[in-house]
Amino acid sequence: MLECKNLEKSFEKKLFTEFNLRLKPGEIIAITGPSGCGKTTLLRSICGLVELDNGQIYLDEKEITNIPTEQRGIGLIFQKPVLYPHLSVAGNLKLGNHKGDIAKSLEEVGMAGLQNRSVESLSGGEGQRVALARALLAEPRVLLLDEPFSSLDDELSTKLVNEVREILKERNCSAILVTHNKVIASNFADSVISL
Amino acid sequence: MKIRLSSSCAFLAYTLLVLIPLWLALDRLIWIAGPNPINWIGSLDENYISQGVVGFTFLQALLSTIVTLIIGLPIAWQLGRHKWPMQSMMKAVLTMPFVMPSIVAAMGFMHIIGRSGLNIRADDSTWYTTLIIAHAWFNMALVIRFCEPVLSTLEPAFEEQMRLLPAGQTKIGRLRKLWAPLLAPSVAAAACMTFVFSFTSFALVRWISLGDNTLESVMAGLGSSAGIPNYMVSRNEIILGASLIQFTVLLSSLWLMSILQQKRQSLLPQASEKFVKTNNNKGWMIVGPGLFFAVLPLIAVFWASFRIRNSDLSETTYSWGTGGWEFAFSSTNSMPSAWDALYNSLGYASLTLCIALPLGWTLAQTIVNVETKRPRYARFLDILTMVPFAASSVMIGLGVMLGMIRIDAEFFYSFWLTPIIAHVMITTPFVVRIMLPALRAIDPSYDECAQTLGLSAWKRFFSIRLPLLRGTILVATIFTLAMSLGEFGASWVITRNSDWTTLPIMIDSLRSIPYNNSLTTPAACAVSSVLMGITLLLFTWAEKFRPSKGGGMF
Repeated sequence: MLECKNLEKSFEKKLFTEFNLRLKPGEIIAITGPSGCGKTTLLRSICGLVELDNGQIYLDEKEITNIPTEQRGIGLIFQKPVLYPHLSVAGNLKLGNHKGDIAKSLEEVGMAGLQNRSVESLSGGEGQRVALARALLAEPRVLLLDEPFSSLDDELSTKLVNEVREILKERNCSAILVTHNKVIASNFADSVISL
Repeated sequence: MKIRLSSSCAFLAYTLLVLIPLWLALDRLIWIAGPNPINWIGSLDENYISQGVVGFTFLQALLSTIVTLIIGLPIAWQLGRHKWPMQSMMKAVLTMPFVMPSIVAAMGFMHIIGRSGLNIRADDSTWYTTLIIAHAWFNMALVIRFCEPVLSTLEPAFEEQMRLLPAGQTKIGRLRKLWAPLLAPSVAAAACMTFVFSFTSFALVRWISLGDNTLESVMAGLGSSAGIPNYMVSRNEIILGASLIQFTVLLSSLWLMSILQQKRQSLLPQASEKFVKTNNNKGWMIVGPGLFFAVLPLIAVFWASFRIRNSDLSETTYSWGTGGWEFAFSSTNSMPSAWDALYNSLGYASLTLCIALPLGWTLAQTIVNVETKRPRYARFLDILTMVPFAASSVMIGLGVMLGMIRIDAEFFYSFWLTPIIAHVMITTPFVVRIMLPALRAIDPSYDECAQTLGLSAWKRFFSIRLPLLRGTILVATIFTLAMSLGEFGASWVITRNSDWTTLPIMIDSLRSIPYNNSLTTPAACAVSSVLMGITLLLFTWAEKFRPSKGGGMF
């Protein structure tokens, strides 16, 4: 499904070189590594926000290396939820799919009935749930998760890890999680690789 | 690629509209007057027209700055440190003079000191004081806008801690050890801007002073005979000398201002606007007269529009009536009606907005786009967009006038759109300054996240960027409209000999008609009232969208 071949990127130092990955449909992979090793850059490269120095990315056998981010069909959940302050919860969700069933999506992430809430009134965990619901509404072929649980407390983080994994498995949505936390990685993913 | 193309187009348009006219004007003046800057500056004191102008310009600007600080600082202190009923409205009233067209302020002060007011205008000893006070009226908003946010949002613990230390047990001690160092950059920035605005004052000097000129008014006066080969060469030298001094002073002030702005930003330990402030009933003794001072010239203008002088050989009396308004809104052989001036002004302002807003926005966006990867290039572009700040409005007017003489004088003089070039030159740098902080404040992840959601560039622009910038765009829009409507210096140089009268030019023309027509003065005030009304409407609207923190003059 998603295949990364010989990916290479350096900024001031070499971040990753000859990185290869094969992700099957519905599979969840976690990539771990210490801070600054290039985990976030790798995800940003896969979804096209960062240009690669070398390497190719294929999605369903089609090369997407030079396709603009918005046309790749890959979703990303940022470390801190990126919610637009000028829009309500429903407004934010409509950005993912304006014809989508907002109420059902919110229910799926345990936020039923909160369509009209201002995003500024949401807690960190609630914000991540809304960001997840929005990303899933866009029906990405692959979902990338950039340490979305790292800013939450342990209890909430464990709860959300299990819930998100369940949702992704129910939808048969492939995903890549990057995290420095090996426990979260093993609880969330089918397999774990180190960068 | 698209972004690069729009940025290149914006900088090309900016160069054509803003930089080339200035360059052409300079080139023409130097071609006639010769390339020796020492001669240019020397000519200022050699010619009777401009003798003493440099000294007068510096002195009145210095005195105006001092008086503005004396009036503005206590008001800023009271507003910042204490609780007031309807505080935002009070702040709006006290800062409103800054957005008023200078010609309206001039009319207001002339009526306060004129025959139907204090009747001291003809007194040689009072006009100088009036000019300084008028400049203080105009610029006190700067002191309030720069200093009040520092005072109102400073972490209260700073003062509480100071009270418990030996150095801060007295009010003087706290002033010296806490407030003075914290306020110094803001006070200096406000003083710097006040000096610049007083230094380049035109309408107030033209109407309040009796014979004395600033560099700005000398340039405006001599502009019509400049740029003609072998004709009054000395006037070209005077204009070049005045421009050179003015450009140097304005450039130095802007440089100083940018250093002070950086200090202000790094020195402000802003906490919260929510901490409880105390009432201060005695403060009304400062704020009350301040409010009265802010509205007095405006009331005077409106009042004078209904006051008609009746003179005969034996005595002069005044009566009330709408004759001035009727005179203003009906055309005569020598004067178009106020309707024509209003249509022209609104037309110019709208077209200026159509050019200056997208141009300024694109320029600001380009600067923001390149400043992370190429900071030096961004700094260069930033400075380039500020060039018109270092040229006063009269200098810009002269630039357009002499520039069009170089290209095709006949065409440009008869072209209705010519004044717009000057308006765009004046307003675009302000749009850039207003848009830059807002564009910098947009979190880049907003755009990135939208990309990962599959939103196209247009959809991202309309769904995210535009709504996030809505308030700033409205402030820029209103500011551009208000500036264009009230623009006097450049328009006076460009349009005074054409049919394209604007509201400020009409006010000036009406006041210039000999005094024997008793309706011209109330008519000038009627037109001023119209201009004042539109500006007030725009200002009130802009206040709704102004960010509460940060201060600054916009």
